[in-house]
Amino acid sequence: MSPDVNKLTVKDYKTDLKPVWCPGCGDYGVLNALYRAMAELQLEPWNTVVLSGIGCSSRLPGYVATYGFNSIHGRALALATGVKTARPELHVIAVGGDGDGMAIGGNHFMHSCRRNLDVTYILMDNEIYGLTKGQTAPTTPTGDKTKSSYYGNPEPAVDPVELAISVGATWVARGYSGDMKTLTKLITQAIEHKGFAFLNVISPCVTFRGDHQFKEIKEKLRYLPEDHDATDRTAALRYVREKDVVTTGVLYRVEEPTLGDRLEHIRMVAQGDGEPPTTQEIINHFMPLS
Amino acid sequence: MAIQDLTLALVGSGGDGVVTMGDMIALAAARDGLNVIKVEAYGPQIRGGESSTTVRVSANDIFAQADAVDVLVVFNWQDFARFKGEIVAKPDAVIFSEARDEAEVDLAELGATGNPIWIKVPFIDLAKESAGTTLAKNIVTLGILSELFGLPQEWIRKAIEKKFSKKKAEVLEANFKGFEAGIEHARSIDRDFSARRLSYTPGEPKLLMSGNECAAIGALHAGCKFFAGYPITPSSEVLHFLSEWMPKVGGYVVQTEDELSAINAVIGGSFAGVKSMTATSGPGLALMTEALGLASMAEVPAVIFDVQRGGPSTGLPTKSEQSDLWQALFGSHGDAPRVVIAPADVEDCFHATVEAFNIAEEYQIPVIVLSDQNIAQRRETFSAITLNHEVKNRRVPTPDELKDYKRYKDTPSGVSPMTWPGIKGGVYQTNGLEHDEYGRPTSMHILHEKMSDKRYRKLWPIREQYHFYRRYGAEKADIGILCWGSSKGPVKEAVIKANAAGKKVAAFVPQILYPFPKHEFEAFLRDVKEVIVMEVSFSAQFYKYLRTFLQLPEGHTHIFKRSGGKNLTVTEVEEQIEKVLPLAATKREVLV
Repeated sequence: MSPDVNKLTVKDYKTDLKPVWCPGCGDYGVLNALYRAMAELQLEPWNTVVLSGIGCSSRLPGYVATYGFNSIHGRALALATGVKTARPELHVIAVGGDGDGMAIGGNHFMHSCRRNLDVTYILMDNEIYGLTKGQTAPTTPTGDKTKSSYYGNPEPAVDPVELAISVGATWVARGYSGDMKTLTKLITQAIEHKGFAFLNVISPCVTFRGDHQFKEIKEKLRYLPEDHDATDRTAALRYVREKDVVTTGVLYRVEEPTLGDRLEHIRMVAQGDGEPPTTQEIINHFMPLS
Repeated sequence: MAIQDLTLALVGSGGDGVVTMGDMIALAAARDGLNVIKVEAYGPQIRGGESSTTVRVSANDIFAQADAVDVLVVFNWQDFARFKGEIVAKPDAVIFSEARDEAEVDLAELGATGNPIWIKVPFIDLAKESAGTTLAKNIVTLGILSELFGLPQEWIRKAIEKKFSKKKAEVLEANFKGFEAGIEHARSIDRDFSARRLSYTPGEPKLLMSGNECAAIGALHAGCKFFAGYPITPSSEVLHFLSEWMPKVGGYVVQTEDELSAINAVIGGSFAGVKSMTATSGPGLALMTEALGLASMAEVPAVIFDVQRGGPSTGLPTKSEQSDLWQALFGSHGDAPRVVIAPADVEDCFHATVEAFNIAEEYQIPVIVLSDQNIAQRRETFSAITLNHEVKNRRVPTPDELKDYKRYKDTPSGVSPMTWPGIKGGVYQTNGLEHDEYGRPTSMHILHEKMSDKRYRKLWPIREQYHFYRRYGAEKADIGILCWGSSKGPVKEAVIKANAAGKKVAAFVPQILYPFPKHEFEAFLRDVKEVIVMEVSFSAQFYKYLRTFLQLPEGHTHIFKRSGGKNLTVTEVEEQIEKVLPLAATKREVLV
């Protein structure tokens, strides 16, 4: 078998920018898994858009040689809504951190899930604000001391996975940045899923959470049993709510019409096969009592 | 002697059907070729509460609502009290009120200080007797008004038929009976109304539209295929209209979860190569300003249609004000170039929106169209919309430009070749961070200076290319009025009247506010002696804005400003003219 010269490889998805991330950051793992998943799927870079908000992980679009947009804090999914709705044929991948997605962008997250927007959303969850140097995030465990919680975090944390399942995402998984093989598989499946695919990646922050975060995570990690029925929402939530255990894998997966499907249906009902009305024809509706 | 210009105000509670009544008068008059301007006003209640419609019909050209009304219909004096100072009767107005309402009313307080006629009409009883329901009292009233004041009865019948066509035949029949009962009642009123009747020659039907409808159609005409918006008074009609019509032209509408999402979705849609727009009002524009800076920085075309209302905060959601000016011009952190256009009447909303897309696409810049509640929600007539308005599309980069493609190439005009997803060889990564010509992030001062210069440079050709302004009145004038947006209507009407009376008055109304049309302003200032700046903004935002770019003649510049909630009136303009006219006796030295 001769090698296919047109075949895209991992290096075709890399830009010449060096990531700004600290050595040992979990986000490298996510970026590398994303390259591999893209190559695996042979995504055409010119038909793919990677979008983000603000945060360490939101620098990622600059490192991927597709169309990319590193926008403003919390708005990755809002931009993705526009890109995907305006151009349904594009592959749209939104990425970001837990502060970006769960705090300032929480509203967009809920509604993107609810709408079943056909995009992939990868959340790199390090339970901390890294870019602003170590403040409490919505995913920081209660009691943890951070730069902004001198006496320990007084608030309970949100579980993005549980939230996603509750508000209507149709594909929900958890991954770990240190498990390249599984993560690549999960990203591949997320991109392939038609509908809102939410992948929460545990992506430790060595700088502000220290090595102990890596160690603790490794102890808690479990693979989802193979007999798990991913269409069973109750079962999915049971795994999510288990204490002292973090289960990775595709927890929930159903097929539902996407926002794009519904909008396209509306367009077909409204327009049919006919020619679109001219401006004059639209204006004629304002001729009184005609 | 009959009249050519008639204004009727109808006041009642939410269920009284005054809005329907106003609609029918407006439709019938427009159908018969009359000019119409119709405004509605409501209390803050969701349903019920006080509501009013004021309809001006005229055989002549009209540019604003009338300051005072010829005919006033009051179903309930308590409701009327809420419009105190906003609906004013002419000294000799005709006032109809519900006979059952025995409230003591001082007509002079309403403005009827001359010889008004006050007729108490048993609207409720007439409706019950003729149509079998009090609901028909608005239709009874239409019968009375049309008979006494010469409104086109045949077209009103047609409007009634259209309104009730989907109801049971009995309902239509009952309403027709109500209409005839009104006509009959009018004939029984023993007064001579012949001098108050409208006299006109029926003509070709005219379009009857609101500014928000014109804006939405302008967007479709420009080729907009994606709209994202969040409901907000008084801009929601743009969303409503496009939710119906956008899919018919093959586009999509998303009602987003908030204004932050709306503007960012628009930036996303436009980044993806599709003409995109949002519409909002002051509070929403405030939420959008961060993303406005993103569009400015990443040089993404975006059209933001802002319908101003009274502010700050929730302010006066249903009423007009010209006080979003500064936030449109200067909102957003950093040095963020944008273009601001202000339509000045209903039809203008169409052209301003098309133009906004043209500028946005050609110069890769956010464009704010600054409308206001007055022109957005009022309905007015015009013969036709000039449709040969050129539509510009985004330029596809040449193969040469794609070699070593620089998304933010520093060109003489500041405009760089822009690709979009799907274009092979045009792949780039952009961001809200300062960036180099390739789009790579940087925080170097040298690059920030260079790229800021590039982004601002785009404004110069816009200023050279677009000359949107209107000049009215005398070429060389004693008084020159500067105003913008919906204030144009009363100013234009007052200027025409003043010149007809031999007073040399002129007005200048810019349609593009930023980049500032300096040369045009200066040319106008050279032609006038005294200057009056008129606006509906308590802090005089327009005047202060003018001062940043213009040397207004010291000692010869007068300001008329007040808060909104009430539109600028022709009388207010005329009072200013009278006040300033004596000062123009000696020509001032021209200050350069």
